[in-house]
Amino acid sequence: MSRLVIGPFNRVEGDLEVTLEAADGRVASAQVTAPLFRGFEQILIGRAPLDALVIAPRICGICSISQSVAAARALGQALGVTPPPNGALVADLLLAVENAADHLTHFALFFMPDFARSDYAGRPWHAEAARRFAATAGQSAREAMAARARLLHVVGLLAGKWPHSLTLQPGGVAKSVDLGERVRLGQIVADFRRYLERNLFGGSLESLTALDSFVALEQWGERHGDSDLALFLRLSRDLSLDSQGRGVGRFLSYGGITGRAGLWCDGRVAPLDLAGLREDVSHGWMQGGALHPAQGQTRPDADKPMAYSWSKAPRLDGLSCEVGALARQAVSGHPLIADVLACGGWQGSVHDRVVARLLELAQLVIAMEGMIAALSGEGAYCREHGVPGRAEGAGLTEAARGALGHWLRIEDGVIAGYQIVAPTTWNFSPRDADGNPGPLEQALEGTLLEPGASPPLMVQHIVRSFDPCMSCTVH
Amino acid sequence: MKDSMLNAIETRLGLSRRSFMQFCAAMAATMGLPKGADAQIAHALVSAKRPPVIWLHFQECTGCTESMLRAEHPTLEKLILDIISLDYHETLFAAAGHQAEAARRASMAANKGKYLLVVEGAIPTKDNGVYCKVGGQTALEMVHECAADAAAIIAIGSCASWGGMPSTSPNPTGATGAPVILKDKAVVTIPGCPPNPYNFLSTVVHYLTFGKLPEVDAKGRPKFAYSRLIHENCERRPHFDAGRFAQEFGDEGHRQGYCLYKLGCKGPETYANCPSILFGDVGSGSWPVGTGHPCIGCTEQGIGFQKPIHELAELKYVLPPVGYPRIVEEQGQGMSAGSAALVAGVGGLAVGAGAVMARNLGKNKKPDDTDFGKE
Ligand code: SF4
Ligand code: SF4
Repeated sequence: MSRLVIGPFNRVEGDLEVTLEAADGRVASAQVTAPLFRGFEQILIGRAPLDALVIAPRICGICSISQSVAAARALGQALGVTPPPNGALVADLLLAVENAADHLTHFALFFMPDFARSDYAGRPWHAEAARRFAATAGQSAREAMAARARLLHVVGLLAGKWPHSLTLQPGGVAKSVDLGERVRLGQIVADFRRYLERNLFGGSLESLTALDSFVALEQWGERHGDSDLALFLRLSRDLSLDSQGRGVGRFLSYGGITGRAGLWCDGRVAPLDLAGLREDVSHGWMQGGALHPAQGQTRPDADKPMAYSWSKAPRLDGLSCEVGALARQAVSGHPLIADVLACGGWQGSVHDRVVARLLELAQLVIAMEGMIAALSGEGAYCREHGVPGRAEGAGLTEAARGALGHWLRIEDGVIAGYQIVAPTTWNFSPRDADGNPGPLEQALEGTLLEPGASPPLMVQHIVRSFDPCMSCTVH
Repeated sequence: MKDSMLNAIETRLGLSRRSFMQFCAAMAATMGLPKGADAQIAHALVSAKRPPVIWLHFQECTGCTESMLRAEHPTLEKLILDIISLDYHETLFAAAGHQAEAARRASMAANKGKYLLVVEGAIPTKDNGVYCKVGGQTALEMVHECAADAAAIIAIGSCASWGGMPSTSPNPTGATGAPVILKDKAVVTIPGCPPNPYNFLSTVVHYLTFGKLPEVDAKGRPKFAYSRLIHENCERRPHFDAGRFAQEFGDEGHRQGYCLYKLGCKGPETYANCPSILFGDVGSGSWPVGTGHPCIGCTEQGIGFQKPIHELAELKYVLPPVGYPRIVEEQGQGMSAGSAALVAGVGGLAVGAGAVMARNLGKNKKPDDTDFGKE
C-alpha cells in the first residue's frame, strides 16, 4: 500500500484535497477532504429571518443565485407566500442563466484543459485539444468565456449584480421587466444560442436534444466534426472515459428547470421522500449525531479523531446518492441519457456526466426562450408578506451541480436553525458511520494509476467530472 | 505612441485600436486622473513588462474571481495573459497539487521583490488557523510567506479587506482581513462583495502606469473609488429628498421606483462608486439599488452583513438639495415643502434610529470624513 495526497486541487471551485491508498497500481480507497470551514450556519442563528437572503447566498460565488432561490423558497414556505407568475418566471430565468453559465465554465475552463496537457502529446486529438483548451489561452476557452460574459448580461439587467444578486425575495423579485427589456433579454439569449450552435455543438439545439442513444450521439460527433463536442467525444472514446469514474448508481434530483424530482436506481425512478434524509458527521470535524437537516446542528470540532473533512455526509435512507446534471437527466428519463447509462451498467461515468451537462445546456437555452416569451407586462412581480414569530420552511432547488436544500426554523421572530445541504456535500461527502464511502470516494476506487503524470490524470478527470464546488460543500 | 505598438495591441488584446484607447480613457476617468493620463496608461500597457502576479484564495466563495471573469473590455483572462503574468491562481491554473505549489514558490524566488500579491478571501486566526488549509499550510502561514517578498499587495473583496462575510458575528473561525495580518505592510483594499471588477482593474493599471498603487483612505481603499457615499450619486435620491419611499417589496412605491431607504438601504452610510461605475456592462440602472434592492453596505466594515438588512441606515449627513419638488401643494404656508419632505423622511422610523436621524437632520450635519468632496 502506498499513500498519495493530492492538494490543493486546482481548477475546481474552492479548496479540495484527495488522499489515495494505492495497491497493485490501482486506487484501493480514496478519502476526500474539504479543508475550508467558515461557519455560515452558526452566523445565521439569531438573525432576522430575511437576513438569510443576504447571508446564505454568500456561501458560494459560483451558484449564488441557486442559493438565493433556495433561501427565498425556504422563507416563502415559512412565511406562507409564493411569487406571482411573473416573479416566478424571472427567478427561473436567473437560475437557468446561472446554471448554463456554470455548465459552460466547467466544460471550457475546468474540465477540458486537462486534455491539452503535454502528457497527452502524441494522442491523435492532442494538438486540437491544446489549440482549443490550453488553460487560460485556448481558442475555444476564450470564446466560451466571452459568450458566458454576454449571457450574464441577463443577470445585469434583471438583478444588477452577479454573483450575490439581491433581487430574489420570498414574494417574488425586486424588479419588474418592461417591453424594451424583454426584447433585450431575447437578443442576449439568441446570441448565446448562436454561440452554442456554431462553436460548442456545431448543430441546432433542437437536433441535439432530440438525440436518443449513445450511437446517435457518436454519429452526431462525426457529422459535426469541427465542434467542441465532437472533440470531446473523440478523446472520450480514445481514453474510454465511458468506463471511468463509475459512481454509486443512485441519482437524486429535486426537480429543476429541465426535469422532475425523484430518486433513480437501476433504471427505475421512485418518488422522492426526504423523511429518511440524515447528515452523518462520523468522519467530519463536527460533534453530534446523524440528524435530519430540519433538526440539524453545526458544532465544529477540529480535534475529532477519525475525522478527515469539514464536510458532513448526507445519506438518504442510509445510502449515498449522486446529484447533478446526470442525476436530473436520469430522473427525468431523457432517452439519450437513459441509453448512455444502460450502456455503462447504470452507474454513470466521466463521459456520462459531461454529456448530461452539455445536453442540459441546450435544454436550458430553449427553456429560457420560453420564459422570456411568457413574461408579461401586466401583473405583479412581487407579493407583500409578514414575518411570523414561529415557523419552519424548506427550500429545495437544483443548482448546476445538483440538489440544493435549505432548512429554516424561526423562533421568537429570529432564525433558530438554518441548515444547508449543497450538491457537492452529497457528491464529495466523507464516509458515514457504516464506513460507506461518498460518491466521489467510490468513483475513484479501482482507478488505474498510470505511471507518469502526478497527480495521475485519470484521477483528475474523475474528480472534475463531478464539477465540484467546494465553497458550497462546507459553509 | 508608435503605430507598430498600437497594431500589436490589436492582436494581443483582441481589441480594436479605438476600443483600446477608449478603455484607457475610461480607466483614467475612473481614477479621476488629469488630462493626458490616458496616453500614459496606453503607453504603459503597450510597453511595460508584465508584472508577475500571485493570487491567493483563502476563506472565500470565489465570487471575486467570478466577477472578474465576467468583466469585459478587456476580460480578465486577457488581462491575465497580456497585462499581467499570472503565476499562481487556484481556480484558473492548469497544474494541480504540488506542481502548482512548486510553480508558486519558483515564481516567488525568481521574482523576489517584484511580484504583485493578490489576496482573495478572509484569513481565519482561531485555533491556529485550522479552518483554512492549502496544501497542508494554513492561510496564516501562506499569506506571511507570500507577502514577505511582494512588491505590492492588493486585498480583493470584503473578505480579504477586513474579514467580510465569514467574520460576521459570532465570527466562528476568527476570520480577519489581510491588512490586520500583514500589519507592517501596505495593503490596498478593494472591498465589495464582490467588488466592482473595474475598481480592481484600475488599481492594477495604476500600478503598471505609475509604478505605485493609487492613493488610499484611512481604511486602505483607493480614494478614486471609495470617497463618496452611495447616497450622493444614487438615481433615487430625488425621491429621498421629496420623501417618497417604498415601504415593502412590491408595494406601489416600490413599483414606482421610489427611494429604498425604508427597506433598509445602507446607501447613506456606505462609501463606494457603485451608482456611477455600475455592474455587468449593460448600461444604466445595473446595480442593486437600480434594480430595486436596497444597498446592503457590502463595502463597509460593521455595516455589510453585520447590520440587519431592514435596519435603517444612519444618515452620515444631509446636504439639502438646491430645490425641493413641491409634494404637498396645500401646505405651502405653515410648513415648507422642504420640511415636509424631511418629516416624511423621519416618519415611521424605529425609535432608536429615528433619534439619530432626526438629530443629523436637525443640525444639517456635515460629513465627519474630512476627505469628503476631494478626489
Ligand atoms: S468578498 Fe464576497 S464575493 Fe468576494 S470572496 Fe468574499 S464572499 Fe465571495
Ligand atoms: S437611501 Fe438608498 S435608495 Fe434612497 S437615495 Fe439613498 S442610496 Fe438611493
